[in-house]
Formats: sequence, structure tokens, C-alpha cells
Amino acid sequence: MRLVIDERRCKGCNLCTTVCPYHIFQEGRNLNERGIIVPVLDRPERCTNCRLRHLYGRQLCGACQLICPDQAIFWEEEDPYATKKVVIEY
Amino acid sequence: MSTETYEKWYRQDRLPHIYCTGCGNGTVMNCTIKAVDAMGWEIDDTIFISGIGCSSRAPGYITTDSLHTTHGRALAFATGVKMANPDLHVVVFTGDGDLSAIGGNHFIHACRRNIDMTVICMNNMIYGMTGGQGSPCTPVGKISTTTPYGATEPVFDLAELAVAAGANYAARWTSYHVAELIKAIGAGLETPGLSFIEAMVQCPTAYGRRNKLRQVGEQVEYMRSHAMLLAKKARLEEQGKEIPEDMFTVGEFVRRYRPAMGVPK
Ligand code: SF4
Ligand code: SF4
Ligand code: SF4
Repeated sequence: MRLVIDERRCKGCNLCTTVCPYHIFQEGRNLNERGIIVPVLDRPERCTNCRLRHLYGRQLCGACQLICPDQAIFWEEEDPYATKKVVIEY
Repeated sequence: MSTETYEKWYRQDRLPHIYCTGCGNGTVMNCTIKAVDAMGWEIDDTIFISGIGCSSRAPGYITTDSLHTTHGRALAFATGVKMANPDLHVVVFTGDGDLSAIGGNHFIHACRRNIDMTVICMNNMIYGMTGGQGSPCTPVGKISTTTPYGATEPVFDLAELAVAAGANYAARWTSYHVAELIKAIGAGLETPGLSFIEAMVQCPTAYGRRNKLRQVGEQVEYMRSHAMLLAKKARLEEQGKEIPEDMFTVGEFVRRYRPAMGVPK
């Protein structure tokens, strides 16, 4: 599973940054095209729900999704064989 | 239960909603949807009813049938719906101004009749939509547009009022205590008769801005640190210790099984 913030819904209240036990949500710095500072995700693969959802077969933790007043946080199914674009610095 | 199923409860064409940045009403909406979904109710046999105010816009974002009624009269309309068709699951969204000031009489009589519905009151301690006037729930000393030198009147304790008036279930939590709030709403949905759940919510725009809680996080932190469990209050009273004045109690106030109206046979 992959943690996603829906940029069309988020209003930048930063409530999610206060609840996550791993501090995955960090206050953002840049405005998006709607003029809102959306939080940035710091290594979201650490999220309990991302890691263990399939093992337990149910929603885990989910505190961020519940407290988000704008229904902007959700999880996406990941395709394990998807091609990813990797930027290599050299 | 997967997270994606909640999306079916929201009207995709209506979101993002109109609430201000960080308004707690959205959180209460999440918790309600989660509790309703856990009950296994269908969209077609659930109905959300509301009056007027910020809180009362919530049914407009939910896919089920809904009634957005006149100010304070949500419970009167809900009574009608439940009496006409007891098979429907009725959930009422209301605010503190809507429920305790303008709809006060409807509230006590709905509790007295013990009609089978769940009332969720988003108590932001102020009239948010109309510009921040003081409501019967504005704490003493707090600033609103109609109490510029600080409110002086004693406040209504809505959960205690529901207990006294005869509701079968009454609880109070805040928009910070999401897990407890979901549990309380779930218990309210299950209990036959009137269930009253009061959710204290942050209102950064109308309340926080005037009361030195301008940041959303500050107000949530205030609610977290000023909520006192009922059990703790009872313990302090027993020991004869003083209870700090600015604390409010949270927890389950009552759960009982008085005869209820409108329960499907
Ligand atoms: S589900 Fe829990 S662990 Fe995962 S991002 Fe949200 S708050 Fe953090
Ligand atoms: S809680 Fe929701 S709306 Fe607020 S900043 Fe986080 S994602 Fe955005
Ligand atoms: S005025 Fe207050 S209660 Fe109304 S939407 Fe804004 S923050 Fe929420």
C-alpha cells in the first residue's frame, strides 16, 4: 500500500503532522497550484498501514485519515512490478 | 474493511467541502461515516438530517438521502421521518447553537420521547456560520462578537441535559479523540432510543481567532489537555480535591434501556 495526500482536497491545516507516531507528515514549504501548502511525506513506507495491511487484512492505525478534516488522506494499491522512474545523480 | 469503501459515502462532486481550514466538523464527519459503515447500514436505508449552521452542512456531502431543514428544527423533522418509516436509520447532525439555543425545546422533548435516532452535536462553542456570536455553550470569559468583554452566562452542559431529559445514551468526546468518538457513535447507533453524542470541535475561524487559539493545532491541543475523563472527575470528587474550572468532562454519561419510540418491530 502507498500513502497518498489528495492535493485537490487538502487545505493545509497540518493536523496530520500532529498525530502520526512516526512523524511521516512534515509541514510543507511550497505552494501547490491551488495556493495551499500541502504537507510532505517523510519516508511514507514506514506507515503501519502501508506495511501490514495485507498481512492483517484490515485497516491499521489510520489516525491521520480519521483526523484529516478534508478526507484527503488515503492508501493506494501498489503494483509490485510497476516500473519506477529513478533519478540518478552523477 | 478497506479504506476505499468510505468514498462511496461521500458525494465526490461536492468535495472538498466548504469548511474552513482545520475545522473539526470534517473530522466528526469521518468518524460518523466510519461508525455507520461498521454497522453495515446501506446508503438507501440511512438518512442524515440537519438544521442550520456549519455543522449542518455535513449531510450535503454524504451520498444518502438527507434533509437540510430550518434552524433548530432538525429534531422535529427527524421525528417525523422516524415516525413515518421506522425502518429508516436516522442520524441527525447539529451544532451547539442549532440544538441548544434555537432548538432547545425540540431537544428536550426528543430526549423525553426517546425516539430511536442518533443525534451528533458538533459543539464549537460559538455560532460559526453567522459570524461568531456567543451561543449557550460559549465558556465563561471567552470572547465572541456578542460578548466582546467575555461571556458571563453559565454554559449548558448538553450531555448532562440529555441524561436529565431521558435519552438512552449520552457521551461526549472531542475531535481529537477520534477512536473514542467512533466507539461512542457506534454505541449510540446500536442503542435503541435517542442517543446523544456531543463532539467538541475546533473552530479556528470564529472561536479560536478571538480566543488566542488562532492555530488549528493549538486549539486541538487545548481540547486534548482540558478534557477530563468522567471517572477521573468522580475520583477527584471522592478525594475532595478541587476540579480545575476550565476543564470539561469526556466519556460515556449514560447507557440505559428506557422504553423507546419508533423502534422497528
Ligand atoms: S496510518 Fe498511522 S502510521 Fe500511517 S501515516 Fe497515518 S498516522 Fe502515521
Ligand atoms: S490533515 Fe488533511 S487537510 Fe490537513 S494538512 Fe493533513 S492532509 Fe491536508
Ligand atoms: S466557522 Fe468555524 S465551525 Fe464554521 S466552518 Fe469555519 S471553522 Fe468550522
